[in-house]
This record gives sequence, structure tokens and C-alpha cells, in this order.
Amino acid sequence: MTAADVHRPAPEAAPPPPARAVPGWLRLAWLYLVSRRAPAAVAVLAGLGAVLWASLHWHWDVAGGAAAQQAIPLAIETGAAMVIAVTCYGPFGEPERATGRWLPCLRLAAAVLLTTVAFGALAAGSTAGGLPGGIPALLRNVAGMTGIGLLAAAVLGGALGWAAPLVYLVLAEGALADGATTPWAWPARPPHDLGGALCAGAVLAAGLLVTTVRGARESVRD
Amino acid sequence: MTATSAPVRCTPQAGRAAPLGLARLLRVELRRNAMPFVLPLIALVFWFDSYRIAATLPPLWAERLFYIFGQGHMLIDFAPFVAGVAAWMGSRDGRRGLADLLATGARPRFAVQFATWAATVIWAVGGYLVFMAATLWALSRSITYGAPPYWPLAVGAVGVAAFSAAGFAAGAFFPTRFTAPVAAFGALLACGVSSQIGFNEGTGWALILPTNSNSNFGQDAGVFYQFLPDLPIARVMFLGGIAVALVALLGVPVTAGSLRLRHIATVVSAAGAALTVTAIALTATAQVTGYGTVIPALHDAASSRPIPYTPVCRNAGIRVCVHPAYRPWLADVTAALRPVQTQMAGLPGAPARADQVATLFTVGGPGLGRSSVGQIATISGQPAVLYLPLGALNLSGAFGQDRTDFLDAIKLQTVHAFVTAGSGYGDPAQTAVQAALVQNAGIPLARQARQALPDSPWGNAIAGPPGNGGYPAQIATAATRFAALPAATRHAWLAGHLTALRAGHLTLAQLP
Repeated sequence: MTAADVHRPAPEAAPPPPARAVPGWLRLAWLYLVSRRAPAAVAVLAGLGAVLWASLHWHWDVAGGAAAQQAIPLAIETGAAMVIAVTCYGPFGEPERATGRWLPCLRLAAAVLLTTVAFGALAAGSTAGGLPGGIPALLRNVAGMTGIGLLAAAVLGGALGWAAPLVYLVLAEGALADGATTPWAWPARPPHDLGGALCAGAVLAAGLLVTTVRGARESVRD
Repeated sequence: MTATSAPVRCTPQAGRAAPLGLARLLRVELRRNAMPFVLPLIALVFWFDSYRIAATLPPLWAERLFYIFGQGHMLIDFAPFVAGVAAWMGSRDGRRGLADLLATGARPRFAVQFATWAATVIWAVGGYLVFMAATLWALSRSITYGAPPYWPLAVGAVGVAAFSAAGFAAGAFFPTRFTAPVAAFGALLACGVSSQIGFNEGTGWALILPTNSNSNFGQDAGVFYQFLPDLPIARVMFLGGIAVALVALLGVPVTAGSLRLRHIATVVSAAGAALTVTAIALTATAQVTGYGTVIPALHDAASSRPIPYTPVCRNAGIRVCVHPAYRPWLADVTAALRPVQTQMAGLPGAPARADQVATLFTVGGPGLGRSSVGQIATISGQPAVLYLPLGALNLSGAFGQDRTDFLDAIKLQTVHAFVTAGSGYGDPAQTAVQAALVQNAGIPLARQARQALPDSPWGNAIAGPPGNGGYPAQIATAATRFAALPAATRHAWLAGHLTALRAGHLTLAQLP
């Protein structure tokens, strides 16, 4: 037997089982999502949807004015953005960046997918009725806050990306209490307000762009 | 020189080496901690949510620190971030799959975790103290009297440590990337629920919550009497107990260290829990007094003594004296009293002097019943003295009030004290005369009903809730008629009928 024969199967060996027809790109996407703990993120987002449903169904009230009325839904939307932000960073670092040709596409796809799931979960939760601003406000708020989380992941690192949506929540609550009208405080704007929607959309677009091109910042303190 | 002749170098003793090693470990953890990254964000939130509002409030410590210390915003602004970062630091080894490796290291696993937590809490509490020092310095620039209370500051520091302990324990026991945001979200939720309870509950166990301002912060504390430390001490015990219990809990698992260490950690954790329960039990025994909440087991009688002061006075037709802390408002008080005094002068029971009195906490907790209209101006004594609890009014700049609101409130309260003998809601005749006198003091009937009256403790009973219209038609008609009388006629009628009016013996039809 020569070295060249090694690659040939022995004549008596059974033929290899036919490979399962899983496209390579699908497997790659799945592995990427698993490395970012996306399945767990989906579960947490579903949980937040359930909390939103419970808060609306049982009328969890916060004493106060407009800021207080939106406090619980806004906090839940913030929670969704925080969860998406921490799914941005990966455990592989340099090797992944050096070899992953499809990495930008995967980052973009994962962020879009999780944002969609977050919106879907919270929209399902809002079926209990009485969500301030309704679905348009929910879409705008989730989009904008997710954008803030993605941007923060790029600046602070994926590990701490959750902090920025939390900061924005406090600022937005303050803007609501003060009756601010700037479109950058979009939760304080009416649900169909174009300025607020444009600002939230711009922040989401910037977040997706930065996530696609650069990804989450990696810190030695992670 | 041979190797054997070389001087023998003293080897460090094991007992000395251990603390040195831990100190080195702490230094490494301080350098590699994630908390410094988040401190600028906390500073932004603290400035926006607390300082920005506090700086606009009237320059009295009890007013300016009401949001920060009274309603616990110092903790609300820090807690979610601190809990989240602490959870991140606590979950670090687990997320990296190093837990088993570290368990076999030279030092017990608990010692390593404790060093990480200590570094986290040093950054967090250090940041808190720096921010608070800067805040108190900035707020103090326009405050001319008294000093801030320091026990609530300690409550915040221990609270930050407690939330960091809670987050760290969550991260250590559930090391996933989602633990940090979940811990932050949980801390936010805890603070929100605590605030809601704090808004509604003024007595009992709920006073232990650091976001509860009822019955212990505000009024004239720090001016006429001290900020009572009883409740803040109980809160320090409560939060300190939580911190100790949760940190010591890290030493309980099998991998934490030796059996002895685990036993000690168990005992310390139980002691922390016991301290927390004790604090709650002590708070349940609290009694609300005029000077604030007293916990008998923690109370020092010296802290219940009034603070001596020399009043500052000015003339407004009568001599008007206020506490020196209220000197910035003395001109407003005299400006408000002058047009009222002009109408009251020479009438029976007209005050010969106006003195500020301390605004006290409501014994038995907050809330106004039908039988009481809360703390308002009164006239009593011989010669009659007008006693003004200015702290019970919303000073200019407080909670959306402006100077006009403040002047209106003084005018209304003084006339109310004069016409109704200072208590109750007033019958229709008293209300009509009061409305007329206040109108002639510069507040038209419409503004009285729209603004001044609803802001008073008894106003809703007469004019209904804000924006609900105005005086009942009969009262408005009688008041307009009485106000339109010549000043001399009105004065003469009051001189003859004021005693009967105060006693409630007159009806609307009997007014001229």
C-alpha cells in the first residue's frame, strides 16, 4: 500500500452515509447565532413580551404623569434593547475577524433578526391592550433603543452595551416629565410623529452600520 | 565569596505574605475592573435626573436634597448600573470557563471573588462619594444656612455596596452574558417598586426603603430642628446586612474554599440576614413625631432638641420675623402681608406681629382628613400673633411654583386664619368674606379659584380640583358684592360682625 492509496476506502468498507443536505451558509449562520447566544436572547425577549402582556393585562400603574404612564412599557423596551446589545460580542476575537469573510453580513443579519424578534415579542405582549402610543410607538422605541445599544456595543464593548439604553431610558423619562419636544427624545413624541420616527430610524441605521462594519468593541476588561 | 557565605535573606512570613498577596490581587482587580467605563454614564444620569432638578429648588438643604436623599434618587441613579457591572464582573470567571481552574489555585476561590467584588465596590462607592461631594459643593454655593444631613449620604453609599453585592452574587451564580442586563433591569425594577411604595406608605416597615421620603425628610428639618438620624441608621443596617449576606454567600459553595472558610461564610451570611431582619423589625416600631421618624431603640434624645436661632425681622405694617434660613424670602413675605395687613388693621383679632413657625411632620403619617386641613397659618395669643409655617408652603422655585404662587399662598393663608380662626374649611359666609379680602389684596376671584385656592390644603373642598371652575355661584356673588363696598364701609362692617363671622353664626344672606 502506498501513501496514495490512503485516501481510497478499503474495498470492504461500507460506503459513507449521504451527507445531510444542510446548506453551508445556513450552518454558518446558525453557528454564529449560537456563538452570540441568540437562542437564549430570543427566550429572554419572549419573557419580556410576557412581562409587557402582564403589565398591560393587570394594569400595573405607576403614580405620576405622562412619564410615569410610559415607565413600564419603556423599561421593557429598554430591556429588549439591552439584551440585543449584549449579543453583539463574540468569544473568538481576532481569529474570527481574520478568517470570517462573512462576518459583517452575519453581524447585520443577527442584529436585524433579533430586533425583529424583539419587536414581534413585544407586539405580541401588547395584545393585552392599552399600550401607550400603540404599535407605531413600540416599533419606533424598540428600533431607536436597539440602535443606541448597538452603537454603545461598538463604543463601550458588547459587554457593556446594555448600559446606554438604560441611560437613554432615564433621559427619555426626564424628557417626558419636562414635556420636551425634541425629536431625539422620541418616546416623548406622539406615535405618528415623523421627526421622532426619523431620529429613531437614523439611530437604528447608524447602529446597524457600525455593527456591520466594525462589530462590538472588544475590551480586555470583558 | 561563595554561595554559602552569601547573606541570608529573610523570607517573608506566611502571615505577612497573605495580606500582601491579597492587596496585589486587589490592585490588579482595580486596574482591570469594568466599573470605571460606566462611571461617566452614571455621572450623566445623576446630573440629568438628580442634580439638574435639585439645583432649581429653593436654597434650603431639606428642599434641594429632597429628590436626592429624600426620594432616594442617589440610589436610583446608581443602582441599575452598579448591579449590572457587578454582575458582569461576578460572572467573568464562569463565562470564561475558568471557575474550576481558579478553584484549584493557591488562594481560595472565595478570596479571589472577594477581591473582584471589593475592587468593584471601591470603584462604585468611590464614584458615588465623589459625585455626591461635587453635588453637595455645587448645591451649597447658594445655601446660606445649615449643613446637609450626612446619614442619608451613608445610606446611599451602603446601598451602592448592597446593589453591587446583589449583582455580583447573581453573576457568580449565573454566569451568562445576559446576567448583567438582567441584573441591571432587576435593580431598576426594584428601585421603581420601592419608589412606588415610598409614595404611598408613610408608616411601618415601608419606611425602611431608602426611596421613601415620607415622615423623615423635608419640612423644616435642618432649619428649626435636626434631621433625625434614626431611620437612616436603620437603613444603613438594612442595606449593610444585605451586602454582607450576599457577599458571604459566595463563600458557601463547596468550591469556595476550605470547610472552615465555608462555615465562617455561612455564619457571616446568616448574621447579615439577621441584621437586615433586625433593621426591618426596628423600623416597624417607628413612631412619627413632629420632628420626623423616631425609632425608640436607636433614638438619641439630643437629636430631638430644636436648633436655637435668632430671627431676622422686617416691617410690613406689623413686625414680620422669620428664621435666618428663610432670609431670602423675607422681602416676599412682607410684600405679601402688607396689602392684607392694611385691611385687617384695627379690627378685633388683627395680628400685631407675624412670626414664622416650624413646619412639622404629620404625626401618624401623611394625609389630610376632612377634619384637618394640615399645617396652615394661625392667629392666636394676646396681643394676637400670626404664625406662618413657611416650610409648608411651596417656596418660589419649588415643585413648579413661582413667586406669584408663593405670595398668593401667604395672602390666602393669612386671610383664612383671620376669618376662619385658622382651622377647618370655612363656611360659605367665611369663604365669601375671605375671597373678597383676598381679592382686594391683589388676587382676582378667577385666579383664586384657578390657582391659589386649589394649592391650599382646603381649597379642593371649596373650589373643587384644579381646573374645575371656580367658587360656587352664590359665594362668588356675595364675595364680589362685599369686595365692591367702599373700604371704610367694609372695615366698619367687619369691626361689628367679625366675631359672629368667625363663630360661624352668619349666612351668605347676612353679608352686605
